[in-house]
Parts: sequence; C-alpha cells; structure tokens
Amino acid sequence: MLSAFRSALATPDLRKKILFTLMIVAVYRLGAVTPAPGVSYPNVQACQAEIDQQGIYGLLNLFSGGALLQLSVFATGIMPYITASIIVQLLTVVIPRFEELKKEGQAGQGKLTQYTRYLTIALAILQATGVVALADRGALFGDCSQPVLPDNSVYSLAIIVLTMTAGTAVMMWMGELITERGVGNGMSVLIFLNIASRIPVEGANILNNEGGMIFAFVCVLGLAIIASVIFVEQGQRRIPVQYAKRMVGRRMYGGTSTYLPIKVNQAGVIPVIFASSLLYLPDLLGRLIGDPNEASAWQRFLQTYLVDQSSWVHILLYFALIIFFTYFYITITFNVDDRAEEMKKFGGFIPGIRPGRPTAEYLGFVLNRITFPGSIYLGIVAILPNFFLSVTQQGANQNFPFGGTAVLIMVGVGLDTVKQIESQLMQRNYEGFLR
Amino acid sequence: MLNRVGRRLRRLIQRPASAELTRYEALLPAIGRREAELEKLSDTELTEAAAAMRERDPVDQEWLAELCALGREATRRALGERAFDVQLLGTMGLLTGHVVQMATGEGKTLSGALAAAGYALQGKRVHVISVNDYLARRDAEWMRPVYDLLGVGVGWVEPSLTTEDRRAAYHSEVCYGAVSEVGFDVLRDRLVTRPEDLVQPEPEVAIVDEADSVLVDEARVPLVMAGSVDAGMADEEVANIVRRLRHGLHYETDPDGRNAWLTAAGASVVEKSLGGIDLYDESGSARLAAVNIALHAHALLTRDVDYLVRDGKVQLINASRGRVAELQRWPDGLQAAVEAKEQLPPSDHGEILDSITVQALIARYPQVAGMTGTAAAVAEQLREFYQLEVAVIPPNTPTIRTDHRDRIFASPSQKLRAIVEEIRTVHESGRPILVGTQDVAESEELADKLAKADLPCVVLNARNDAEEAAIIAEAGTYDRITVSTQMAGRGTDIRLGGADGADHERVAGLGGLHVIGTARYPSSRLDDQLRGRAGRQGDPGSSVFFASLNDELVLSHAPDVPEDIEADPETGEVTDAAAQRQINHAQRVAEGVDLEIHRNTWRYTRLIERQRAELLRHRDAVLRSELARERLAEAEPDRCAELAEKLDEATLTQVCREIVLFHLDQLWADHLAFLAEVRETIHLRALAREAPLDEFHRAAIPEFHKIVGEAEQRSAKTLLEAEVTESGVDLAAAGVRRPTSTWTYLVHDNPFDSDAEQALKKVRSMLRKKRS
Repeated sequence: MLSAFRSALATPDLRKKILFTLMIVAVYRLGAVTPAPGVSYPNVQACQAEIDQQGIYGLLNLFSGGALLQLSVFATGIMPYITASIIVQLLTVVIPRFEELKKEGQAGQGKLTQYTRYLTIALAILQATGVVALADRGALFGDCSQPVLPDNSVYSLAIIVLTMTAGTAVMMWMGELITERGVGNGMSVLIFLNIASRIPVEGANILNNEGGMIFAFVCVLGLAIIASVIFVEQGQRRIPVQYAKRMVGRRMYGGTSTYLPIKVNQAGVIPVIFASSLLYLPDLLGRLIGDPNEASAWQRFLQTYLVDQSSWVHILLYFALIIFFTYFYITITFNVDDRAEEMKKFGGFIPGIRPGRPTAEYLGFVLNRITFPGSIYLGIVAILPNFFLSVTQQGANQNFPFGGTAVLIMVGVGLDTVKQIESQLMQRNYEGFLR
Repeated sequence: MLNRVGRRLRRLIQRPASAELTRYEALLPAIGRREAELEKLSDTELTEAAAAMRERDPVDQEWLAELCALGREATRRALGERAFDVQLLGTMGLLTGHVVQMATGEGKTLSGALAAAGYALQGKRVHVISVNDYLARRDAEWMRPVYDLLGVGVGWVEPSLTTEDRRAAYHSEVCYGAVSEVGFDVLRDRLVTRPEDLVQPEPEVAIVDEADSVLVDEARVPLVMAGSVDAGMADEEVANIVRRLRHGLHYETDPDGRNAWLTAAGASVVEKSLGGIDLYDESGSARLAAVNIALHAHALLTRDVDYLVRDGKVQLINASRGRVAELQRWPDGLQAAVEAKEQLPPSDHGEILDSITVQALIARYPQVAGMTGTAAAVAEQLREFYQLEVAVIPPNTPTIRTDHRDRIFASPSQKLRAIVEEIRTVHESGRPILVGTQDVAESEELADKLAKADLPCVVLNARNDAEEAAIIAEAGTYDRITVSTQMAGRGTDIRLGGADGADHERVAGLGGLHVIGTARYPSSRLDDQLRGRAGRQGDPGSSVFFASLNDELVLSHAPDVPEDIEADPETGEVTDAAAQRQINHAQRVAEGVDLEIHRNTWRYTRLIERQRAELLRHRDAVLRSELARERLAEAEPDRCAELAEKLDEATLTQVCREIVLFHLDQLWADHLAFLAEVRETIHLRALAREAPLDEFHRAAIPEFHKIVGEAEQRSAKTLLEAEVTESGVDLAAAGVRRPTSTWTYLVHDNPFDSDAEQALKKVRSMLRKKRS
C-alpha cells in the first residue's frame, strides 16, 4: 500500500495530478473556515460552543464540512449542485427536450451540464438567502443570543448572499477541476473532505469530555469499523458467464475474467440516506406545527420514541427502514430481467442455465440471498453511532465519523479514488520490466 | 469591422476551433511581388532556387513566403495552373501543422503537394496519406512535374507493389499512400525477422488528405493483421439448420440490427436438430458459438447491403463509404459463417497477429497536418484525439450554391416517388443531377425506378469502383443523371459541362449541378460533403435532401416520433416543423453514438498500443542486436556451444533471433486474443460499480508482463528441440505462419447505464404505461 503511494508520487504525471488535487483541497479548506464578510467571527464561535443540538441542519452541516454553521464563504457548499444534478436528471423524464439532449451524447450532455450549473446558482441563491435569513433572525443557532450578523442592513446581507453563492460556484468549478485534472471524482472528493474534516473536531470533543481512555477506545473501535466496512464493501459474488459469440482459436481463456459480479452491498449508501431522511420527518413536522413550549401528548410520544435517537423504537425502526430501502433500491436499480435480456442479446449465458426467463430467475435468487446479509450490514453500520450517544453528543448521530452515512461515504469515495490512482499507476508504470 | 471584432473574439475564446490565419495572409503580397522575378528564371534555375531552400535556416515567415512563391511558379510551369492565394494559404496552414479546411474543388491536392515539398525541403521525409490507393497514385503522378521542378523526389505505394518498390517509395522524400496501405506496411514491418526486410523508415511528417474521413470515420476501425491458420471451420450442418429458422418465432433481432438471438423455441429446435444436445451446458457451448455466428450471418447480414458475392467470394461493403472494402473480413468465424450461408467454399481461417488504430498510426509521426473539405464540424474531436487545430481557408470565389430545405415524407415509398418526380422535373431542363444514396441496394432500387420512368442514369457504387473516378468526373455533363453511394469518387472534381469543362457555360446557365440526397446521413458532415459536390469554385448549383420519418436514421436513433405529425394525404409530404426537428435530433444522436464508439475504441486500445510499443522496443533490440543469442546462450549454454561448432556465427545469431522473434510474435497474438476475450465481458464489472476500463487494465497488465519471460523460456525449449541445419532453423515444424490475409474489425462497447439511469428508465416506462 505504502509502496504503491510512493511509486504514485514517483510518477511525474500522477504526482502532478495528486498535488493538484491537494492544492484544490487546501484552497477549499481555507474557504470553508473563512467567514463571509459581515459575519461576526467571535460571536459565531461563541454560539457554536453553546448549541448542543444540531437537529435538522445536521446532515446539511455534515455535507458542508461544518462550513454551514461557521457561516463561511463556502457555507452553502455543494448541496445546491447535488440537488441541481438530481433535479436535472429527473427533468429528463418529464421534459422531452431534456430527454432528447440526454440522448445526443456528448454535445447534449454538455448542454445539460450547463443547465445544471445555472440551476445550481439559482438554488445556491435560495439556500444562501435562507441561511442568512435564519442567521439574521438568530434562529440558526437555536437559543444563542449573540448577534452573528452585527450589521443587518439589506446591503450587507445581500453581500453575504452573493459571497456564499459565489462560494458554491467556485466549489462547483473546483470539483470539475479535480475530475478533469486531478484524481478521483471531484464532487465525491469534496464530500469526502467535508466528512473527514469533522473527525478531528469530534475526536477533540470526545477527548475533552470523556478523557483519554474512552478516546483511545473510540479510536480503536473506529479503525476496526472502517476496516470491516472496507472488507464488506469489496465483497462480491461472482457468477460465471460465458459468451459464445465467436469461434476462438486453440486456447480457451476466461474462467477468471468472465463473470457477473454482485456486490454484498449492492445498494451503497442510498438506503441509509433515505431512511434517515424519513426519520427526520416527524421531528420536522413537530417543529412546524407544534408550539415547543406546550407539547401535546402525541408530540411527546414522537419526541420520546422517534426523535430521541437513543430510544429503542427509533433504533429498530431505523434498522427496519434500512433493510426495506435496501431491497427497494436494489429492485429498482438492478433489473434482473434487463440483465438476462442483455446477456441473451450478446450471446452470453450462465453455464447450466438457459437464457431468458431462467437466467433472470437465477439472478433474482442470488441477488435476494446476497442482499439479505448486505442489508443487515448496512443497518448495523448505520445504527452504530446511536449506541455512542453518551460518548459523543446528543443528536450528533450523523456527525459521528465512525458510523452511519459518514463512514460509508468516506470508505466508498476513498476506495474509488485509490482504485483510480492504482489504475493510472498500472498504466504508466512500465519502466523496469525489460531488465 | 464587425467581422474582424468577431474573429478576434472567437480567437479569444478559441471557438469554433479555427486557427488565426491573418499572419499568413500578410505574407501574400510579398509572395505576389516575388512572382515577377521568378518568372524570369529558367527551369534549372528554379530547381536550384528550391535546392537553396534546403540550406536556409531557420524556417520562418520569410522561408514560408519564398517556398510559396517557388511553389506557385512551379505549378504554373508544370501544370499550367497558377496557384490561387487561398491555395497558398492552405499550404502555409499545412506547413504549420494545421488541419486546413478548403471547400471542394479549391485544389487541396495542389496545396498538399506544395506543403509536402516544403517539408521535404526542410529535410524531412513526408508521407501523404490518402483515403484510397487510386487517389494516392493519381495525386503522386499528377503532382510529379511540380515536385520535379522543385527538385523533390516522389513515390507512391499501392497493394500490387513488390517489397523492393515499396521500400524505394517509402524512402523517397515524399510518398503517397492510402491509409490502409501505410498501416499494413507498419504492421508487416513489425513481423520481419531481418533488419534489412523493413520497408518503412522512421516516420517524420504525415499530411493526411480527407483528414476527417481518415482521422474520424476510419479511426473507429482498427487495422488488423491476420495470419491464416487453416481453412474456415464453418459448420455447414448448423448453417442449414439456421437457414430454416423464422424471425420472431425462432429468433429475434434488436431494432438497430446489431444483435440476433435465439428464442426458447428456437433453441429447442436447434437442439433437437443437432441430436438432442444441451446448448447451454458446458459441453454444448462450442456448438452454441457456431449457432450464434450462423444466426448472425443469417439474420443480420444482408447480401448487397452488407456484402457482395463476387467471383465466388464474399466481399464486405464499407458502410461509411459505400464501397467494397477489399481488405476487410469479419472476425471470429463470422466470415466462414457467411460463406456457409452463401454456400461458398470456406476461405482461410485467420488468427489476429497484430493490430493498429488509425490514431496510433498517425501518432507515430512527430509532425502531422491534414486537409479536408469538412473539418470544422469535427474540430473538437481532432483536438481531443490528435491535438490538431483546424484552420478554415476561405473559398477563392464565394459559394453561391442554394441549399434547399429538407423535404420530408411520411413513408420511404412516398419519399422515393417524390425523388423520382424531382429528378424528372429537374432533368427536363437538362441540368445534371447527382443523387447520393445510403447504400448499394438503395442505388439499385432507385436506378430501377428511374429506368421505368424512362430516365436513364449512371449508377456508381461499390460494384464498379474501378471506374468510379472517371464516371464522377463526368457527372456535371449536360443531361446527365448520376446515382452514387455516399462517398463514391471522393477526391475527384465534378466540373460543369463534363471533365474537360467544354460545355461549362451552358450547364452553368441552367443552374449548375443539382445534388439530391435520398436520406440524411448519420452525420451532418457527410451531408455537407454531398452538398459540396455542387457549387464548385463559385459555380451555380443547388442541393436538397429528402428524408422520411421512417428512414433508418430515425428508426434506429430517435424512434419516438411525435404522433401528431400530419402528412399531406396525397403525396405524403410533411411540413410540420416537428418532423424536421425529429430528423435533426436523430442525426445528432447518431453523431453522439459514433463519437462514443470512437472514444471507447481509443480508450481501450490506448493501453494495447502502449503495450505494443513497449514490446516492439524489445523486439527491435532482438532484431538489430545479438540479444537473442546472448539470452539463449545463458539459458542453454551446452546446446549453443554444440551449434556454434556446426554453424557459422551469422547463421547461429540469425537462428536464435528467428526463434525468439517467432515466440514473441506468437505470444503477442495470444495476448491480443486474451484481451479481446476480456474486452467482451468487462462491461459486466460496471454492475459492481467498478470502472470497466480500470478493470480491463487490471486484467491486461499482469498478463502482458509475462510475455518476455515466457518467450525466452519457449525459445530455449525450441532451440533444444528444433532441427537446426546449415541453412537455418526449420520453424515450419513449430508452425511458423506468415500473414497471408488481412482484415479489419469494429470494436463496440455496451456499457450499462448507471444506477440512476436504471431508476429513471423504470420511472419512464411506468409513466409510459400509465399514459397509454
């Protein structure tokens, strides 16, 4: 592993790419901690220390690497871009013009990307306005009484909105730069960074609040979790496939290379995000319609059993939802009929199984069997942080960097990026084989 | 003024990709002034002046100007044509490494020749790469007087040349050759066993004629060198069974005609006919491959569309040019299956020994330039794949051709009727007509229809390509109707009033050549090429494309035609703008697909090319040094000593060399077969969210690293076992094969959609179901 990195740095081409990525990362981190103009930095720090619950902004704050609650120039982060991409994707279903563009290959895709960028800017303006409005009303940090925006004239507020929007545009650009000239997928790398940048903060929290012993314990446990997540993430079932479309000469190849892989965790992180978003809903609902001072009976019920993340009901429900969404997502994305059909078209088959219907059934059978442990694994990883609430802070579930969405995303992006570096290394590293 | 600002702006943002030519335009007056002085020189003095250019250093603007002035004088004397300013601009564009776009009939050949001479006078060897052998030879012979006056040697290569002639041609200062010819010579050079057998010198400069066609259209198809192993092994029994199968019941095909597969019913029929075997068992899979190939030949390949049967042989038709592709064969037993289908004797079965993409071929040249009539549309691709910039040369006289709007019809039969009608109307005035069709079958059909309507026409397609240049040159004659497939006769001018232009005034007075396209081509560039046949050098002319919503293009790329498009009940003509939009959309989809194929081919072959280059360095060392002997002496010292007594030094070295080279070449062929196998299924990895390309590399690289070691082991074994005599080693026993036939094949990829794609597809189909 280390030697691979050493040779990665020894390859000039690759070194340039890695250094370029690191440079963008540095610029990005700098921006994430630079307060937007007009924000009172000391007051923000004071408020940060005061709040104990990050509530519904939790996920958003996680994705922005804490920049949101810092009110930094990158406060709105890449969320607008992610949302815009999803919206444009969905629009290709609804708007014929978009569907046409999508089909037109690169030229059309280019136009769609352009639309995504415009939409990102629009969404960023919206989100920045929202954040600034919340901060201005003092609602961003709950009960914090310090004025985070001392000068709240329209002009200076507009400047903040403009800065944050520009920040999102710059991030979008940086992401594209990484994809184009660095290593890995730019957007994923930035998300990875956001999550990873929370680790020292959370670690320091634990060290300060719980002392060295617990801290060491959490570190060891964290590493163990990451290692096992990496292990499971790479697990796959390989169904042998033969292609009988050509008459090959004397030698028979394959066996090792021709297979159809199904991952243990075929669904990825999406089911966890679905489930946790769904569980936020009651909380959000309660806040919207209820009066926090006079909680009615059903609100108290919700609070105790659903919102409270240490409650068994919450944990079990979360777990069950994840299993459900795993199966749901896999049925949507892995269409066994399409796969069987496609294999049949290109002359492929699974030895001993007839193409078409029987193949689809067989694939479905394997998929169902493998999804079961996969979904249990996802559920366990996702609920792990809930058991550490006493160690971390109440409500900081998603931010606990050794479990839940965070670790799944980090490991996923990390593996992809390392694989990409490795592949580029393999392509270049030919010198020395001719003795 | 506005124009200039616009140009500046475009240059600032570098789009569209046209290089700035003002720098070279500024040289034109100086070139003009030099003309008078040069006119006074005798021929010998002119040649001497050109020779003096060889000494001049550096190659700067003055050098360019002087070269152009000399070139213009040489063309005036040799061909009686004074090169236009725009032609000299083209020459300067080529000499500075651009792809120059010059409209049809502007004299690209001349610009290219002057540029080639220019490079030659800089002391570099130039290969002018053209699309076919005919053009290579014609251009070389046509331009020879010019080269002679400039004191530059010129040669050309064509398939019939002997090795000696070939070597002489490649070593002349300027050498013309078709891309496939040059490519195959590169491949052949990679298989020689004596250094003196090499025909090509180190590549230096390439000037690519019809650059878009060569660099973009042809680039999707790698040149493949194959060696014959034995006679074909097509299964006649299988062919006879498959012949009885019925479409829809026993087998199905996908709409774009790329794949055919057995249904469950078909599979059991075949199994029963073959004696009750199980095709999908380990044991039956060999038979299954034969069935699949036979089915492919039966269901997807149509005689006269995809291939011709001529002289008892199957000959492929090149889809992108509508010509017989002499050197092409289908890979992996398909050729034999087609022969079985046509009940022809099987030809040799081959094994792929080596391959090269056009891109890699061009990349060998440190300096590349190109010329074509339609480059701007592919400027992005030329930049991405070849790092070439396009320079657009304005026409000498502005084009005054009228391009009519597309005429769209509901069904192909209505379209055909309208085309015949159009031809009749235009023909009445005596205007010459050129009809561009999609393929050979369509040409024949149209010719039939025209004959019935008493409109005699000349058909120009893959069947008589030997005479096509002569026929196309006459297409501008009064009263003439020419029906031609896509690019038949490309590179030959259509002059109004016939090849000698005798009748020019009368035909021009009638409105010049009228070009009719029977359907839109898969790319707008091809449309433009056909249009460009008319309106040459400021001549009058017109063009119109006919299209239908049931054309191949629309059916395979944009089949969801809006339903509310109304057609004229009588003629079937559609005037709805939506129809035009749909057709344009279909064309853009087709262009996107082609680009994707090109990019995919390149992404997957890049690694192979790199490995090949690596191995070739080793091969070259073996070929030119004593490496093989040294290695074998280390591995088998006893045997070597024994042989050293029997043989003289040179023979032993050559024996060792031949053994090692044979095994290296054989292992490379095996490696290619392995890669083809991996390539076919690697897209399945996308299911586990792995990048197929990365996984391809992961599989390919360790395998490659084994080659050199394995070759040495095998060589040592051969040395021990083989019969070695005074005259060398007898490798025939080991099965040495020299390539006797060559063909090309297409790479296509079928990557899965992403997860999001899958989900969207599902939603989309659910919406559809609801709607209906």
